[in-house]
Amino acid sequence: MVDPVDDRRKAHWSLYVYCVYLLLPLYWLVGMALKTNQDIVGKFEVVPGNPTLANFAEIFTNPVWYQAFGNSLTYVTINTILSVAVALPAAYAFSRYRFLGDRQLFFWLLTNRMAPPAVFLLPFFQLYSAVGLFDTSIAVAVAHCLFTVPLAVWILEGFMSSVPRELDEMAQVDGHSFGYFFFRLFIPVIRGGIGVTVFFCFMFSWVELLIARTLTASEAKPIVVVMTRTVSASGLDWGVLAAAGVLTIVPGLAVVWFVRRHLVRGFAMGRV
Amino acid sequence: MLEVRELAFAGNEEGVSHRFAQGSITVVLGRNNSGKTWLARSIAGLEVSPPGTIWIDGQDVSALGARERKVGLVYQAFVNYPTLNVYRNIASPLIAAKRSREVIERTVRELAERLQIDALLRRFPDELSGGQQQRVAIARALAQGGKVLVMDEPLVNLDYKLREELELQLRDLLSTGELVVVYTTSDPKDAFKLGDHVLLLDDHRLLQSGAPLDVYRNPATITTADLMSDPGVNVVDTDTGLRPEHITLHRRSASDLVFESVLVGLETNGSESFLHCRWSEQDWVVKLSGMVDIALGTGLQLFAHQADVLRFGGARGGD
Repeated sequence: MVDPVDDRRKAHWSLYVYCVYLLLPLYWLVGMALKTNQDIVGKFEVVPGNPTLANFAEIFTNPVWYQAFGNSLTYVTINTILSVAVALPAAYAFSRYRFLGDRQLFFWLLTNRMAPPAVFLLPFFQLYSAVGLFDTSIAVAVAHCLFTVPLAVWILEGFMSSVPRELDEMAQVDGHSFGYFFFRLFIPVIRGGIGVTVFFCFMFSWVELLIARTLTASEAKPIVVVMTRTVSASGLDWGVLAAAGVLTIVPGLAVVWFVRRHLVRGFAMGRV
Repeated sequence: MLEVRELAFAGNEEGVSHRFAQGSITVVLGRNNSGKTWLARSIAGLEVSPPGTIWIDGQDVSALGARERKVGLVYQAFVNYPTLNVYRNIASPLIAAKRSREVIERTVRELAERLQIDALLRRFPDELSGGQQQRVAIARALAQGGKVLVMDEPLVNLDYKLREELELQLRDLLSTGELVVVYTTSDPKDAFKLGDHVLLLDDHRLLQSGAPLDVYRNPATITTADLMSDPGVNVVDTDTGLRPEHITLHRRSASDLVFESVLVGLETNGSESFLHCRWSEQDWVVKLSGMVDIALGTGLQLFAHQADVLRFGGARGGD
């Protein structure tokens, strides 16, 4: 017979191992960010012997670094706002109305996510160059919308459909205009869903490398691109790269922190 | 005054026509899927243009949407705005009508007091019990200030005790003299408790209407009699029936009808007992007060007054 307590202890133990496995690279990244290049390549230390913040100082003083952060944040913000703004009415329509081809359209939105971004590189590059949007934050933001809008519609539709239709009808009976209902009564109810949607749009756009690199040259170069190109005459600047990596994780962590409760609900609904 | 004329459900040729008198409560009684909710939603303007017309105060409102109609609605499910507190929930129709702050404040407080939720105004719907949530919904429906209030099985989702309590209060609350109340239910008891009039629906058609006792005494068809009876009516033959509560085990007068039957089932809740009997190929139920102790399989002589026999001679008799 299996001892249940023993069983649970085993389960816990494997969980700890898995957590260590997940967190080890992150810990190593933070450790590297706090070391000098000599220490990184010269010796093996688990805890930084003489920790330094020089790497972070480099990023906050060197315009190549902090502008790249700025660029990334700019197009990610534009993309997130645009995606949610477009997806809200679309998701409402899918959730509340029956129209010809609604299911097919909804499925088609999802299939957009099945194409690898690389497929769109060439048309995007040609198109944005032709209309003079090449190397701007807007170009990257709009290009990312191709992937984030279907995702946002999919997530929001799930949250909206969990709100009973009676609420819409009640607002009608009370005499509210549709606009008042949608913005003042409905959106507050699904704010958790909007939070989750923002999180996923943000994360997609923030970590996406391929399109961001193709559509930018110098002016709008994002942080992920700068990180892959930082090779100086003296070789790789390990410490600064690690510090940039740490800073790249921070916005994601912040967003997760804000939507952590709603995220669980989103997973439970199978939409995330 | 509210009137529906030839309101027909999709696929039905025959429509429902009825005048709902002002200052009265009309109980719409019917089984599941008999068209109660459909009628309620049609009056509120939520059904997409059914054939037929709806008149409020002599004005045809059929073309108006739910926004333009001044009809209050209370759902079976407790529907409140989850992100607004009780005060804002009740104030909702007043805000939509762009009333002044003073009017809103006064109306909300007055309604909250009448519904005994004045201590809860700062709470949110999810912090309230089911009964309180439904009180908020009723207050909001009343806040609209219209002359018609539609309640679609408002107490079904409440537990038994709360239901009784709220039911008692509803009667006083709703008889304000000018309100037309349409109250749908599947429980015949509600018709007697609340209704000045009762409207029986089946298959989205009007079966019979009138004062509850009249309909109880003179059902036009066996379906009508069944709807107004709990448990259902015992069938004697195609156009006569007997209510379970009108059958006794003892002869009360010489002219009583006698039925020889066999007891096949027995259930009791202490104050009432239900005897399931078999009489000439029919399953009958006899409702007696108190407890009875008879072995199953016993032959029983059932008695009924001649006068209690229901004769379905009505206009739509025979089905």
